[in-house]
Amino acid sequence: MPLLPSLYNVAFWLSRNAADAEDLVQETFLKALRGFAAFEPGSNFKAWIFRILRNTYLTSRAGLAARRTVALEDELWDGNDTGAALHPESAIDRETPEMNLIRLGDRAALQSAMEMLPAPLLEMILLCDVEEMKYREIATVLEIPIGTVMSRIARARAALREALQSTMTPGKEFRV
Amino acid sequence: MTDHLSPGFLTALADGELSADQLALVNEHLAGCPSCTSSALHQSLLKSATAKAGQRYTPPPHLQERLMRLASQTSSQPDASTLRVAHLSPSRPSWRLGWAAAAAMLLVSLSLVLLQRADRRTENASAEQAALVTEVFDQHIATLAASLPPQVLSTDRHTVKPWFQGKIPFSFNLPESLPRDTTLDGANLTYLHSQPVAQLLFSIGRHRVSVFLRQNPGVGTDKPIAEHSGFLVMEFTSGGLEGFLISDVDPARLGELAIAIAQAQSGDQKQSK
Repeated sequence: MPLLPSLYNVAFWLSRNAADAEDLVQETFLKALRGFAAFEPGSNFKAWIFRILRNTYLTSRAGLAARRTVALEDELWDGNDTGAALHPESAIDRETPEMNLIRLGDRAALQSAMEMLPAPLLEMILLCDVEEMKYREIATVLEIPIGTVMSRIARARAALREALQSTMTPGKEFRV
Repeated sequence: MTDHLSPGFLTALADGELSADQLALVNEHLAGCPSCTSSALHQSLLKSATAKAGQRYTPPPHLQERLMRLASQTSSQPDASTLRVAHLSPSRPSWRLGWAAAAAMLLVSLSLVLLQRADRRTENASAEQAALVTEVFDQHIATLAASLPPQVLSTDRHTVKPWFQGKIPFSFNLPESLPRDTTLDGANLTYLHSQPVAQLLFSIGRHRVSVFLRQNPGVGTDKPIAEHSGFLVMEFTSGGLEGFLISDVDPARLGELAIAIAQAQSGDQKQSK
């Protein structure tokens, strides 16, 4: 099963423990087998099975708990803003968390920052960056418009930057 | 483009999702804006680093073995309840068929799908219906998970029904009397398949029920209950409306509510005006 590593990786990130991740992947696998006749040959299999994984996660205990804690406000990221929040002084900040990260190569810090993200934002990072899905595929998986995909990814990356800043305090040294 | 690039544009740039025209505009802006150039670089670096850091967990070998067993069981015993029991049972050496068996089964399934092209129209209708049920399910789960009150919070049908005036392109009726232990909690305006629908919220005892009403030109016939991830979904058509009820309550009690609402649409019962 070529997608098993990807499914398990995303399942573990979302459920945050091995046992739940295994249950999630197994349930996804069973649903995919039962519903395979409904899969349209030639359509996107990866998006199809990740959609099953995601819906299964949402109905799990961990998924329901995650939904209770986060309210996505996509309208705040409708793409019409001027980006002022990213450029408070129109100056180049060369000490951003990302630059520190690249300079120091601290993979653990980034993973810690990812762990701090709420599930709805983490799944955007996982699908877009880790699974390298296109917006159209992500829209299929999450059943949301492409514009919402874009705004959520922007919001997820902003949240990741904030999380990185909180994990990388000034003067702290990181292992190369 | 005089303002700075929006987060959306920077995100789409890093993800390679800009159209050619958009990319030309963005490149023109970046040529004269060091701040946005820096932000764009940061986005790309972050994306690259995240892609590597996100590859963190690998499936344990025993999971692959378990999935292989389930695949073989599915091919011989497709009953869902049997699969659930099998999941809890210890492994059996005779079921170690390997991934080849799973792949073969998928190929067989695929072949069957291709052979059944003649029935594709029917299958597509079923798939569309299944997608609708999934959407109903997702909406209901989202409602349960949200801590927000309904958009119209009232147990009075004379308050709930008028609230939808001008919000949906149809009208509906609410039953004058509800089945025992059933109360109206409120309603939301929501969307199914991009169509505005009324989501009526009921409680049957401690069980929450969502009833989605939308326009439907079909002639009313009650349809069987479907199960979706432990929730029951019942569909009815009546009075030019299509309704979906979803809950984890007893099927008989969900059916009582479905009948009451369906009869209210057809005028067989006293209704709210």
